[in-house]
Order: sequence, then structure tokens, then C-alpha cells
Amino acid sequence: MEALKAVAATSSGAELVRRCRAGDGTAWEEIVSQFSRRIFNLAFRFTSSVEAAEDLTQEVFIRIYRTLEQYDAKQGDLSNWLMRLARNLIIDDYRHRQRNPQNSHADDVEDHTFHLRAVGGSAQKEMERRELAKQVQEGIDKLPTDLRTCVILRDIEEMTYQEIVELLKIPEGTVKSRINRGRIELAKILRRMRVVNI
Amino acid sequence: MNYENEKIINCSMFEESLTGYLDNALDKPLKVAMAEHALQCPICHGLLNEVKSALELCHEISAPKHSMTHLEARILAMTAPETAMACQEFENYLTDYLDGFLPAAVFHRWERHAALCEQCTDLPGEVVRSIAACYTYKNEEMPLPEGLHAKILQATIGTERAGEVQASRISQIIERMRGWRFPIPMPQLAPVAMILMFAFLIFSQGVSADGSISQMYQKSFEFAGQTYQQGADIVLGMEKIEQVPQQKPIDGIYINNEGRK
Repeated sequence: MEALKAVAATSSGAELVRRCRAGDGTAWEEIVSQFSRRIFNLAFRFTSSVEAAEDLTQEVFIRIYRTLEQYDAKQGDLSNWLMRLARNLIIDDYRHRQRNPQNSHADDVEDHTFHLRAVGGSAQKEMERRELAKQVQEGIDKLPTDLRTCVILRDIEEMTYQEIVELLKIPEGTVKSRINRGRIELAKILRRMRVVNI
Repeated sequence: MNYENEKIINCSMFEESLTGYLDNALDKPLKVAMAEHALQCPICHGLLNEVKSALELCHEISAPKHSMTHLEARILAMTAPETAMACQEFENYLTDYLDGFLPAAVFHRWERHAALCEQCTDLPGEVVRSIAACYTYKNEEMPLPEGLHAKILQATIGTERAGEVQASRISQIIERMRGWRFPIPMPQLAPVAMILMFAFLIFSQGVSADGSISQMYQKSFEFAGQTYQQGADIVLGMEKIEQVPQQKPIDGIYINNEGRK
């Protein structure tokens, strides 16, 4: 069943790309609608700024649009290809900003308004979730660059060790140790912020 | 003693039977009488509560404060200090422990450190909670900012109205043809090159001027000539069979050299 779903996803993705290459605007709009929210959220986790994440998402889509010719359905479904490309670009941008702090978008998380979706529950719970999300983002922001990247990819993006190795092009041992160190640092930061208490 | 007919027992009797009452060892009529007396007499009621509290305290004191893991860890730390783990090593193994990848020997050392070290004992729980917080955070996705969708479309296809951008018939056909594949795969060039090279070597070395492989026709004429010469010598009575140099056949016709003798 899963295999059938994967085949269906691959063929529908391939069909969308084929229509895009032919010049069909609605097919491109469909791709943008399907993936923009996911890419925007990923960008926000690295930039901690709505404006910067917005700009970065736009840049990622421009790059995707220009490289649609390179998409090969035999190499995997569109979602995988597109998210891999997006992660590469976002991480490249993040590393670039870390090397050049004057270009950093890192404005205070306090300034951001979280528009978290209401998933039932009371207003109190909604506020608690919002507060927790803000604190987690603040905690992640305090991590060193290399640890932060690994923690986001592993614990938020839920990528496997092997996927992170391929994406960051560093040895598996280094990935594991950065994830380990990053988790411990994040736990200590959140403890100091009284987010995780015994 | 028969208490069945007694409605009220006195304080002295209450005190005397108190232990039995708390141990639930009295017969039913006395138990009922004890309960009634406790309700009626505030002094005995107070006494009952005091004894109850004292017993609870005694139970608490007698219960072990630490789990056996902690005690075991303490004993091992004192008797086999070489198996102890440093805090840094403990932290290094944390993710492997959570992923369930620690080998048995390290696993037990790790758990002992977690039980004993006051600085590290809360760390695993905190890490697990912070990972859980990350998952919660992941599920709380932000909505797309207003206008971003339109901005992306404007930057890529030049208009916010994607429906206006239509694919032409020709481009659709070209895109469809792009997916087609020839049924015969492209030949592998290396094996083909090898075959051609061997063919060249065989034919360049083997084909002679008379058009046959390795001058086959010419050789056969020579052997036929030799056989004929030997037969002729025997017939003419020559003792010794000489090896006469053969004349080359011309155009496949053998020239007899009888005239030589």
C-alpha cells in the first residue's frame, strides 16, 4: 500500500513538473501551494525572523523554478527532491550569515508574533503552546551554529543520521556527536529558562 | 468475655484492645463496639489517630529511601571504582543510550552513573523533555505570511495570476516526447571496441595475397607438388629421395621440373 502511494506521489510530482516545463502556470502554482508553508517554516527555524524567512523562501522557489529541468522522477519523488534542494539552500544561507554576522537577520524572537493554528483546546492551552514554541525557538537560537543545524535537522525535521551526513557532507561520527552535544546544550538552556522542569 | 450485649465499652478496655483493632484482629462485635467508642469518646478518638500516625511513620522509616539500583551503584562504586564513568563520558553516550545502541557493559556503567551523580541524574529526563518540546514546536507550524504566495509567483512566472500562463500545444508535445525512450538501449562502447580490435588483428594477420586465410591455397599446392615429386623419384629408381627446391606455383598451376634430371 505504501509502495503504491509512493509510486502515485512520484507520478503526480513528475506530471506536475512536466506541465511546469511545458509552461503551465497553474502547475507551478500547485507546487508553490504544496510546499511553501513547509519551506517557510524550515527557513524560520534557521533565521528566527519572519521577514528573513519570507525572503529566503522566495529565493528558494526562484532556484527551484530555474532547476526544474534537472528533476528526474526516477531519482525519487518531487517532495524529496524539492525539500533536499530547499534544505541545502537554507543551510548554505545560514552558514553564510554566521560567517558574516552583519548580514544576520537575527532580530529578537520576542518581536515575532506567532500565529499558531488552534487545534481545539482552551485559550489557556493555546497560550501555553505559543509560549513553549517561542521558548524552544529561543533555546535553539542560543545553540552554536553547527549544533543548531544538527538539532534542527534531527529533532525538528526528523531526518535520519544518514540523510544529515549526505546533506552536510560530514562524517557520521561528527553528526552523531553534534546531535548529542546539541541536545544536551538545548536541555540545559531550556532548564535555565525553566521550560523543562523536573 | 461476651461483648455482644454491651453497648458501650470503657476507655480502659478501648486502650487494651487498640492494637488488635488496628491490626484488624478483633471479632466483629468487639470491633463494632471499639468503633462506636472511638466516635463517642474524643480522648480515645485522639488516641486512635495518634497511634495510627505513629505506625505510618514507623512504616516510612523502615522503607528503603533509595532503590536497589542506587544501592547497587553505591556498592559497585566503592568496591569496583575502575568501572565508574566520568560525567563527560556519560554525556557522550547520552544519545546512544536514548537510541538504545549502548552495549550491555557500557549501559550498566551509564545507568550507575545516572543513579549516583547528582549533577547528571536529571540530565536524561531533561534531554527527553527538550526533544519532546522540539516535536511540539515542529507541529506548531506558522501560517504563510500574507502575500508571500503572490510574491513567489511574481518572481518566478512574472504574474500573480498563474491561470493566465498557459502551455502551448507545441511545448506540451515536446515535453511529452521528452519522456519517451528507445526500446533498444545504447550499445556499450567498450565491448564493441574490443570486438572490432580483435577482428582487425585476426584479419590483418591471417588473410594472404591469394585471398585465403594464411595462404591456405598456396600451401596446399606446395604439399601436392612435394608428394608428386617423391612418387616420381621412387618410380624412376632413385635411392635417395632428395628434397628438391620447389618451384612456386603460378596462378595455381604447378610446373613440373622433370627436365632437370
